[in-house]
Amino acid sequence: MTGKARTPRGFVERTIDGLLHAMERAVSAEAGAAGAGWIQRLDPRVKLAGLLSLVAAVALSHRADVIAALLGLGIALAIASRVPLATLLSGVWLAAVGLSGALALPAVFLTPGRTVATLPPLGWTITAQGLTSAGYLILRVAAAATFGFLLVFTTRWSHVLKALRAFRLPLVFVVVLAMTYRYILLLLEAAHDMFVARRSRTVGRLTAGERRRVVTQSAGVLLAKSLHLSGEVFLAMQARGFRGEVYLLDDFAMARADWLALVCFAAAAAAAVWVGR
Amino acid sequence: MHIPDGYLSPGTCAALYAGAAPFWWVALRRLRKTLHTRLVPRLSLFAAFSFVVMMFNIPLPGGTTGHAVGVALATIVLGPSASILAISTALVIQAFFFGDGGITALGANCFNMAVVGSLVAFLVYRAVAGRAPLESSRRVVAAGLAGYAAINASALLTALEFGIQPLLFRDASGAPLYCPYPIGIAVPAMMLGHLTIAGIAELVMTGGVVAFLQRTDAALLAATAGRGVVASSNAEFGGAAGSLRPLWITLGFLLVLTPLGLLAGGAAWGEWRTSDFADPAARDAMTAASLGHAPPAAAPGGLARLASVWTAPLSGYAPPFLRSPTVGYALSAMFGAGLVLLAVTGVAAVLRVRQRSGTAHDTESV
Amino acid sequence: MNLFEIESLTYRFNRIVALDGLSMAIPAGTRVGLLGANGSGKSTLLRILDGLYFPESGQVRFLGEPLTEQRFGADAFAHQFRRRVGMVFQNPDVQLFNTTVFDEVAFGPLQLRWTAADVRARVMDTLERFRLAHLKDRVPQRLSGGEKKRVALASVLVMDPEVLLLDEPTDALDPRSQSQLIDLLMGWTDGSKSVITATHHLGILEEIADRCFVLDHGRLVAERTPADLLQDQELLDRTNLIHVHRHRHGAAQVHSHPHTHGL
Repeated sequence: MTGKARTPRGFVERTIDGLLHAMERAVSAEAGAAGAGWIQRLDPRVKLAGLLSLVAAVALSHRADVIAALLGLGIALAIASRVPLATLLSGVWLAAVGLSGALALPAVFLTPGRTVATLPPLGWTITAQGLTSAGYLILRVAAAATFGFLLVFTTRWSHVLKALRAFRLPLVFVVVLAMTYRYILLLLEAAHDMFVARRSRTVGRLTAGERRRVVTQSAGVLLAKSLHLSGEVFLAMQARGFRGEVYLLDDFAMARADWLALVCFAAAAAAAVWVGR
Repeated sequence: MHIPDGYLSPGTCAALYAGAAPFWWVALRRLRKTLHTRLVPRLSLFAAFSFVVMMFNIPLPGGTTGHAVGVALATIVLGPSASILAISTALVIQAFFFGDGGITALGANCFNMAVVGSLVAFLVYRAVAGRAPLESSRRVVAAGLAGYAAINASALLTALEFGIQPLLFRDASGAPLYCPYPIGIAVPAMMLGHLTIAGIAELVMTGGVVAFLQRTDAALLAATAGRGVVASSNAEFGGAAGSLRPLWITLGFLLVLTPLGLLAGGAAWGEWRTSDFADPAARDAMTAASLGHAPPAAAPGGLARLASVWTAPLSGYAPPFLRSPTVGYALSAMFGAGLVLLAVTGVAAVLRVRQRSGTAHDTESV
Repeated sequence: MNLFEIESLTYRFNRIVALDGLSMAIPAGTRVGLLGANGSGKSTLLRILDGLYFPESGQVRFLGEPLTEQRFGADAFAHQFRRRVGMVFQNPDVQLFNTTVFDEVAFGPLQLRWTAADVRARVMDTLERFRLAHLKDRVPQRLSGGEKKRVALASVLVMDPEVLLLDEPTDALDPRSQSQLIDLLMGWTDGSKSVITATHHLGILEEIADRCFVLDHGRLVAERTPADLLQDQELLDRTNLIHVHRHRHGAAQVHSHPHTHGL
């Protein structure tokens, strides 16, 4: 027999890949937050308010050129924060924009309006409104995704949460979000190990039912493990004095650079909303 | 099904955040009373589990694979309140951290998947499972159906939210500002994928895991087992095991929101009277709703023949003795919903009677 | 006065009996070893001593005061108990539930309502003592087993407890981390602190304990000094703390005698 046999990419393989990708994403976000860029050093509350207001401006604009300008601003900030553009591309654009691009394509032909061109072989008409609409969609998705990415890649998750707390998000949600994040990483590893072990034990082909059972059993085991873990974590919390109220340390203080950045963010967002109204 | 930023107008996003918020608040209040300090680790671990499970590739008939959200599973194991919060938490982290789902659209995603998904799953699961023993196969079927119904309900809601965007939000030149697909395209497009792939994935995941739990640790299913089946410290509802009151409150809330349908303006696509085909104003409306295709000059033959067969008692949705269309609309909605509920309760009752006449035995939780 | 007095303690998990009418007295100011095979009830006992589980029947007294669920309902009692008694769990992932190492070590003092300045100072001091300062902003997930155990210890010792409960502390630790832990425990011999270590690891017994209690199937079967216990092969075999199988030491002949693994 000549040639290399290609390993079929079955559901186990793809699940493992997905899990690995998620874990890598978390790791690189942490590394990014420790980076030396300009945005990393800002107060997390400024970043949260500033970047989210820019996302809101993206949603509120009625002009494609304004949204494109916001997208440009986002890319510029990413460069200033030493976020490698490759990461931005693979982490954000490929998924979000690629998907939206595919979704927006039919709109180019389907939206009623002034005809701009016709596709010869099929006679489909492209309308100006269709192009504009597709443009809105893709630009908005790209810009919003860039700002969201910036927030998470330049700020430690614990700081994002404490900033949310400063904006009056109820404490219980903040604590739950913190703990969920921490244990997602643990469960991702547990799930990954389960599937890798499963892959190494599989000889030959499984029937459809067996394949489904692999997934549901893994999910079931993970569920039981999660619930067990939650009981143990509860005991550990109690052992260190937890009685229902959680107290957090207030870490943040605004420096001059922070106020300046806040003003700039607000101005950019306000300008975008005003011009694009 | 995660809606990214840019597909929904800020108004729609805000409305859906406002729609989800009361459910979050009520769920939190209920859980604080029953779980007390256990709440934080329990929710967190389950949210983490949901997050990871959303990544599993599930092999489906036909050689495809799909992903499950796990909302029905969360509801069955934890109860609807905890499920609302746990799934919402997983969605928040997906949105912020993995860019899966937008940040402005977070309220919408939580409303569609976490809130409506959990409530629909709960309703269907309890209706179909009745008082069957924890280890019975009827519960597996109920679980699968609950998952399927929940996902499709979420998808339908999402499609409707998409569909009204081009209707309501256009720029000066008439180009849709957000999602460009009207209801007529959005609904079939979304529902096709969910009725077939995503819905089946959810069905397989929910039914499969419930079956697995029945063999390994059936007590985990006790929380939503209903009155008289099992008493367990896991039960979210404490003494009144299986109270459906939150469901009625929810339904009431949704009913009050029904006047939103008036926003859609004009007649829903396809719901025209034969007389509309002759009226020029109505014809214009039909053309606009059908992407520029003008309706035929006369009503189609079949429509003309069958239109006279049934005259609805509440034709035009407004009982004649009411002046305000909005009130009439809401009342009709309540009446309609009431009829549906009566039907569902009736079916459930019939199923219960049939089960009792068989070899019904309650299982004891360990 | 004894540190802990336990009388006819019974505790069940559903239908499985973990502790079966256990009675014992643990002296204060000593290093105590709680020995037993897996399933002997050691972990359950530790949790009862830490006021996390409450027995079905029987009584536990800490320095003469009974530990009941009602007493823990009062803030004042709970706070002072949690500060005075600290527990390190067998699985560090259970104990590291905050997003950074700093937050983890700060959790205990914050729950005890210390002022922010005090908390910060004490946490930094503890982190330095345990050589964890360079890790203070790391997520617990990414630490090595030894580092996790150190963080777990630090997060308990930051509150300067009088009593330390350790559940299988050397479990899954590499040799260097194990010896560091043992060094730490060996240093606690001045009588001001009490340590109760639950383990089935006989190799470290003489270094970490002055008195040993042996549990088997939820009951106390012996109370000895480590030296005496290690001599009593019959007891060790009966309680499943050693086993016998064929093996070889270096180039010697294959033989078999009672022994235990891991050091």
